[in-house]
Amino acid sequence: MDMAATTSQGRTHRKPGYLKRGDRRFAYLILAPAMAAFLVMVAWPFVDAMTMSFYSYTVYDPEPVFIGLDNFKAILTDPYVLGSWVTTAIFVAGTTLLTMFLGLSWALLMYQDFKGRAVFRTMTLLPWILPSTVSAFIWAWMLNGRYGIVNVLMMNVGAIDSPVQFLSNDVGAMVAVILTRTWISIPLFMSFFLAGLQGMDFQQIEAARIDGAGNLRIVRRLILPHLKPVFLVTGALGMIGNLQQFDIIFALTGGGPVRATSVLSIEVYKQAFQNWSLGMASAIGVLWVFTLMPIVIFYLRSLFRED
Amino acid sequence: MFELRTWKEKLGFFGLLAVIAFFLFFPVYWALSSAFKANGELYRMDPTFIPHQPYLGHFISALTEGPLLLQLGNSLLTSTASALLNAVLAALAGYSFAKFDYPAKKPLMLLILSAQMFPFGVLLISIYPMLQSVGLLDTRIGLTVSYIVFALPVSTYMMYSYFKQVPNELIEAAHVDGASNFKIFRRIVMPISLPAFITVALYAFMWSWNDLLYSMTLITSDDKRTVGPGLLLRYINENNADWGGAMAASFLVAAPIILVFSVLQRQFIGGVTSGAVK
Repeated sequence: MDMAATTSQGRTHRKPGYLKRGDRRFAYLILAPAMAAFLVMVAWPFVDAMTMSFYSYTVYDPEPVFIGLDNFKAILTDPYVLGSWVTTAIFVAGTTLLTMFLGLSWALLMYQDFKGRAVFRTMTLLPWILPSTVSAFIWAWMLNGRYGIVNVLMMNVGAIDSPVQFLSNDVGAMVAVILTRTWISIPLFMSFFLAGLQGMDFQQIEAARIDGAGNLRIVRRLILPHLKPVFLVTGALGMIGNLQQFDIIFALTGGGPVRATSVLSIEVYKQAFQNWSLGMASAIGVLWVFTLMPIVIFYLRSLFRED
Repeated sequence: MFELRTWKEKLGFFGLLAVIAFFLFFPVYWALSSAFKANGELYRMDPTFIPHQPYLGHFISALTEGPLLLQLGNSLLTSTASALLNAVLAALAGYSFAKFDYPAKKPLMLLILSAQMFPFGVLLISIYPMLQSVGLLDTRIGLTVSYIVFALPVSTYMMYSYFKQVPNELIEAAHVDGASNFKIFRRIVMPISLPAFITVALYAFMWSWNDLLYSMTLITSDDKRTVGPGLLLRYINENNADWGGAMAASFLVAAPIILVFSVLQRQFIGGVTSGAVK
């Protein structure tokens, strides 16, 4: 730091930690490409969707027709569309909680030193790097209503008399998409928790052990409190990701049977690219953004707290 | 960390290990095993866990009877191009945020990061007509550019937090030697930041590689399709699904990325977690 203050060729170094102020032009210049990409591909499409939500624009309308709040009125009075918020909530809550529980458990197991741990750790990444369609295929085949291994095993041990048609009944389809999405997300969550565990204070654990604390007590009293910030961040990230999830659900169930797994992403896709009703799709999208907003704000605040 | 002295403690630990490991890895094993079974062995109520008569027919038909290789090429092309584009944009922006001071910095940074608020599905409603109007609908270039949406915000933040750790003295010293800002960035900062750059590129690659929604919507001709929608359209239709073929094709498609990750995984996972948590 001392060096930085004296070597700026005559210009003063005003703020420690940063470079000379005269370099502002360069800073703007290298920011410009990312900013341009952001404006064209994110900001403008969003503003456009906001605007479009006040219009009726379908294949029957040659030009968008301004209809004020009619799209929103239609959404708020349509029990089916409103139902997709409930469906989304079930999917997001189920997936996020299950992933956090299994991700944390797996991280705790992988933190313990045992023979073969390295192999397990390496393999853990596998579900995450498979393309979504491939993961959906694997689970659709496992849960197949006739020859799926899940049905076959359950029938063989006598748990069920006839195969369960997972993907063609409401509850089964929801279970299937939650399981598949959880399966894919565990590796990433495991890494977050594992990173959090690296900062554990071992002396504290040793001291608790001398006081006679068992493994479960150490998890409850020491490890879980230590991981609290990780819980908050992974919880927020998990919800943001799951609230947007489309690929797995579309590939597995297409939102069905009927509308049983029709979450917001599926609803918007169907309105926009199957019904070509862009105004309506945008209106649902705008409400979807407001659903996501509080979680993203929470996440960004926790990200910037240290800065 | 845990003490596993009594048989109860051991049972608890290894029992939980076995259950979660089964959930994580058995599906992959089962898919692989299914890919090597002829239909007679595949569809039966007393399944064989190891194929009795290993059969390569599904792999051969997956490779020869459809555009799988072509679509795999499309996926690799669009994912690699968008990953590089994304990593370059993120590195430049991240450097600007990390090492310079200007009034609009924090708002601009928040603006880029807030992009996570806008679901990809919503942006797509406007990206579709936008690409159409400039003639980029149903082109791989259009798809590549659209993929920026997925990873740019988080990538920028990942590069930013990496550059923050690069000591200012290093850059100041080069200034004294008369090097320009751009030269310092290219010759000094980038070479030592290569691990972060690769991590960010891989992160972006994963997003496009996994994508189904954009590719399915923005590409309409079969020969330009990527593997996600390609597999879906080919193997699954309501009445008869070719499960053996689907499993074989799945592994052919997954092989290249499994290879890349088995080499780079340790570095990658550390990079992604440190970027998102802190």
